[in-house]
Amino acid sequence: MSVRTYVLLLSALALGSAQASSDFTDMAPEEILERLIEDSGSAYLGQSPQNRQMMPDNPAYWVAEEGEELFSTPRGPKNVSLEGCDFGKGPGVLEGAYVELPRYFEDTGKVMDLETRLVHCMTTLQGFDKKDPAVKKRHGSGSDMMKLQAYIAMQSNGMAWNPPMDHPMEKAMRDAGEEIFYRRAGPMDFSCQTCHGTTGQRIRASVLPNINEPHEWTKAISWPAERAGHQNVRSTQHRVRGCLWQMRHPGIVAGSDASIALISYWTDAARGQPAILPDLKR
Amino acid sequence: MKKLTLTVSSFAAMVLSATMATTTHAGNDVDYTKMSSKELAEHLLFNTGSFKLDQPVQEGGTAKARLVQDETQKLCTEFRGQRPDADTAAKVSQMARETIKYPEGGIKLGDWKIGRELAWSGFGYRVGHKNDDHSKAANGPGGNCYNCHQLATDRTGGNLGPSLTGYGKLRGNSEAIQKYTYDVIYNAHSLFACTNMPRMGASGVLSQEQIGHIMAYLLDPESPVNK
Repeated sequence: MSVRTYVLLLSALALGSAQASSDFTDMAPEEILERLIEDSGSAYLGQSPQNRQMMPDNPAYWVAEEGEELFSTPRGPKNVSLEGCDFGKGPGVLEGAYVELPRYFEDTGKVMDLETRLVHCMTTLQGFDKKDPAVKKRHGSGSDMMKLQAYIAMQSNGMAWNPPMDHPMEKAMRDAGEEIFYRRAGPMDFSCQTCHGTTGQRIRASVLPNINEPHEWTKAISWPAERAGHQNVRSTQHRVRGCLWQMRHPGIVAGSDASIALISYWTDAARGQPAILPDLKR
Repeated sequence: MKKLTLTVSSFAAMVLSATMATTTHAGNDVDYTKMSSKELAEHLLFNTGSFKLDQPVQEGGTAKARLVQDETQKLCTEFRGQRPDADTAAKVSQMARETIKYPEGGIKLGDWKIGRELAWSGFGYRVGHKNDDHSKAANGPGGNCYNCHQLATDRTGGNLGPSLTGYGKLRGNSEAIQKYTYDVIYNAHSLFACTNMPRMGASGVLSQEQIGHIMAYLLDPESPVNK
């Protein structure tokens, strides 16, 4: 087994039993997933024992390690690190920040997800131009964006999804996202609900998550995750783009308000369930 | 001359403000919190530069048309996957029946071997970061039937729709069955109002010839579906 698993096992034995604890923040992503599978028997959650076996050695950990370094390194024309970036819980506070996104930010007057917030901090705090590859390149394990996202999201592993809904903008975006989720359109008449509205539905060999089952939906939205078939760590925005592509809807612009509305809705749908970060998917 | 100048500059002002309206952030000129959720959804889809609406699409025109809902989509959206009420169902089915166009000379079964490939292929009509080039598909864009249906047992199909294994074996090959099968593929709403199944013929995803091949895959006794 990996060094990390060995250490976790030792501390579990020392504490008595990891099984007895309901504090998911002490658990590795695969342990959280195992617990959810035990409690629910969900076909979606349990569809790949092979992927679960790979999780302790998730390549996303290496990507996140590079992200940790990038985060604290002074960069860009202004030569500052991202430690001054406010992700919603104060500058540089990463613990629990990801599960409270998307949220409204006073300084921009917008509801923002992790990706748009990173773009904001990289361009304003660090002075990068929007077209600089560091900012522009959003996909692939080799991108700064995925390294940073993997690192930041991991700091919320095991925490309950809890996007704020106090500000009128947060509610407006979430509700618009719900309309978009159910809106049938395109040459195939697909909405998100077509595939994600019923438990146990399967496209070819892949079991789909049901948005109405929070214990399924928490895994569905646990990004960044290593896509085994892509051999890359992928983001939430990447997943949105991929879905719309298969739905034969028009291409969505990364970080656009429509994408944020959708992400707001789908994060709210997993409220209360433990995030599995980083995840590993097919 | 003066009148012309005024017209040109006010036109320029219109264009400028239209451009600004689509690039200003929320709250600067459009208050998201003052709209209903439906209004905001439509606004986000069409007026905020959130989608690549100007991108050319395989069926001609631009991607924007794909987001504009027709009557069937608007009606069925309300039910969120649940069965519509009887009145809506009747209306949707009637509208669907009116779209069905039968081939010149009547329905004819095609080649089940081509139908097999079309049923398996999920290629076609995707746009955005990667556009499917239909000139690359020997038999045209696929019907992607296996995505949702189990058909022959040599390949894995989905379960969003009912299993079609043994479709022809169970039903035979009568004219009535052929018409029924054609109707479901062409526009499934004619029989199942607000179904999740795409309107393969009516939406132009599959040609009449392609439907004939897929029908053969379903109905031909020699097809693996019926073995």
